[in-house]
Amino acid sequence: MGLRAYIIRRLLLMIPTLIGVTLLIFGVTQLFSPYARASIYMTSPAQYRDVDLIIAKYHLDESFLIQYKTWLEELLRGNLGISKSLDQPVVKVLLKRFPASLELVIFSLPITIFLGIYLGVKSAVHRDKAIDHVTRTVSIIGWSLPTFWLAILLLAALYAQTGWFPPERLGSAANAVVRSVDFVRYTGLNTIDGLLNGQLWITLDALRHLVLPVTTLTIVQIALIIRVMRSSMLEALNKGYMVTARAKGLSESAVINKHARRNALIPVVTVSGILAAGMLTGVVITETVFALHGLGEFAAFAATQLDIAAVLGFALLSGVVFVFANLIVDIAYAYVDPRIRLG
Amino acid sequence: MNIKQRLNEFRKGIGPTIKELKFMISRMKKSPLSIVGAAILVFYIAIAILAPVLAPPTSWDPYMIPREGYRAEPQAPSEKHIFGTAQGQYDIFYGCIWGTRTAFRIGFLVVLSAVAMGIVIGVISGYYGGIYDEVMMRFTDVIYAFPGLILVMALVIAVPVTFRFHIGPSMLIIAGFIACFIGVSIGSERSRLRLALVLLGLGLVATAIATAVFPGQMYLTLGSLMSVRFTPLDKVMLALVVVGWPTYSRVMRGEILRVKQEDYVEAAKAVGCSDARIIFRHILPNSIYPLLIMASLDIGAIVLTAAALSFLGLGAPQGYADWGQMISFSRNWIAVRGNYYWFTWLTPGLFIFIFVLGWNLLGDAFRDVSDPTLRRR
Repeated sequence: MGLRAYIIRRLLLMIPTLIGVTLLIFGVTQLFSPYARASIYMTSPAQYRDVDLIIAKYHLDESFLIQYKTWLEELLRGNLGISKSLDQPVVKVLLKRFPASLELVIFSLPITIFLGIYLGVKSAVHRDKAIDHVTRTVSIIGWSLPTFWLAILLLAALYAQTGWFPPERLGSAANAVVRSVDFVRYTGLNTIDGLLNGQLWITLDALRHLVLPVTTLTIVQIALIIRVMRSSMLEALNKGYMVTARAKGLSESAVINKHARRNALIPVVTVSGILAAGMLTGVVITETVFALHGLGEFAAFAATQLDIAAVLGFALLSGVVFVFANLIVDIAYAYVDPRIRLG
Repeated sequence: MNIKQRLNEFRKGIGPTIKELKFMISRMKKSPLSIVGAAILVFYIAIAILAPVLAPPTSWDPYMIPREGYRAEPQAPSEKHIFGTAQGQYDIFYGCIWGTRTAFRIGFLVVLSAVAMGIVIGVISGYYGGIYDEVMMRFTDVIYAFPGLILVMALVIAVPVTFRFHIGPSMLIIAGFIACFIGVSIGSERSRLRLALVLLGLGLVATAIATAVFPGQMYLTLGSLMSVRFTPLDKVMLALVVVGWPTYSRVMRGEILRVKQEDYVEAAKAVGCSDARIIFRHILPNSIYPLLIMASLDIGAIVLTAAALSFLGLGAPQGYADWGQMISFSRNWIAVRGNYYWFTWLTPGLFIFIFVLGWNLLGDAFRDVSDPTLRRR
């Protein structure tokens, strides 16, 4: 099977999973009474008079399948209900909050992956040496640290104590400029918009505010990559082809980088899916501590306000994002390791 | 066969398992990190047991943290409150000590329930395969399609506070035993119906016991209509179980698929053993231990997730002794220049961190030891 056939098959397999995702989220709404479900679609408390009309309009008291059909139609039309905590349509809020979260992940993901691979390889090559012990200790500590506590520690040390890296997305001066009419928001990402508008200082300010959140996410996530890379590298180093490569007289760096590391990378690609999940949950906590006003902070805030529509909307979105992330991981996996496609 | 003979046979039967465990323990003893992990856990167990001595409760509910007035501003450590007080004058020392019990309770209950569920479902889907397997795998796929914490968040706010069952727990237990009895007495030796009934019965009994163990209040009204009232913490545990069991049931399924191919299972089938006998006497004893150890080492991760939820304000109710909540109390006092309120987040955070570190150190050492490709070098 060629790569293209594999991708097509994988895309088809994604459909039932996506249906399952929507079914589960819809199933959760069924835990509420029709009245509570109607409140998802209410725009103001005054509408409570018309609650029966709303129930009738969205078929909220009919059978599971009819309700599911209506709900799915509304979903495809981009109607996830009204967020009670912010008094706005959920989809609108999600779209508005998306860039802040994206910016965080864009910076943190590459650092996590490349640094993690580098440290994992170093750790395996020098097994049981000082660097191995240090790396393993750091990774196990990173794995055990509560994300929110690490964020607090960093904030205390590097902001409250020294004032270097403040929380929130931008300082007040930069915020005023970004909110003004002249500033065109091409992407919503402050770092890129600053460059596109020719205002370098805004980019720098945004970067300064990103240091702590990105560090937090990276430290918590990198542990996984280091662990997987280390163990698969250890396995690769014991393979027969290593002996062959050395016997051929290749240099040590060629043996490690070309023969061992390449083969050891495959499991890392597989766990990247877990990494995506970790990023999505990490975003919730990191944004809450650093007041980044992204998706995650919105979801956490909405949950404390019992804002059902918002939380379920966010859960649905992250489910879909995660399914697509796994799709990309699988395709990358098939690309890296041709044996997968044949199976 | 008298008891002594049976005992001997039992000893002989589990001999290899014991030997394997001894080997693992001897390997783990050589790794300094696992010793540290074990020591940490012993320390926490001691705290949990000695909680009433270390921090004597002052009210009828020992899990509610005593407070010294209602002022918002946290007070620095003093002789009376050696860790200081949090926002709202909750005693941090008391919260940390009794929070240890909360952590163990959450960890053990969630792992126990998730493993029990995982084993039952994993056994059915692995042993019988076919449609059971397909349904189970698709269902776990859907659960896996969500990042854990986010699904837990959604479930926590969606689970209603009061849940009405139309049968009381006693009825549930009776029904369970009846189902077991019918299952054992009817059907041929190898019928699926029989096993299904026995499993259903055991499941019902387990549910009844679980609802009794969960510290929610239970009302047994007339007409045997039972309603369970979930405390916020119960909802967190319930959500964690829902999200956690698929992992265990997949591991269980994989193990069963492996063991099913063994000659001794074929032999047992050939002699005409019932499905239940094959599962309970031949398959489970040979496949369950790795799962149990793996699951028990997950307690750290579960406590971490529960703490994160409490930090977000979705876990324990206000004033309940819980580490995550202790830190969420400090949320308004973090980014204060000069770190004047360091005591509000430093100590509770250390309690969580070291607890999880202990479990992870043990788990790490165990994974190294149990990996056959690495360990005998």
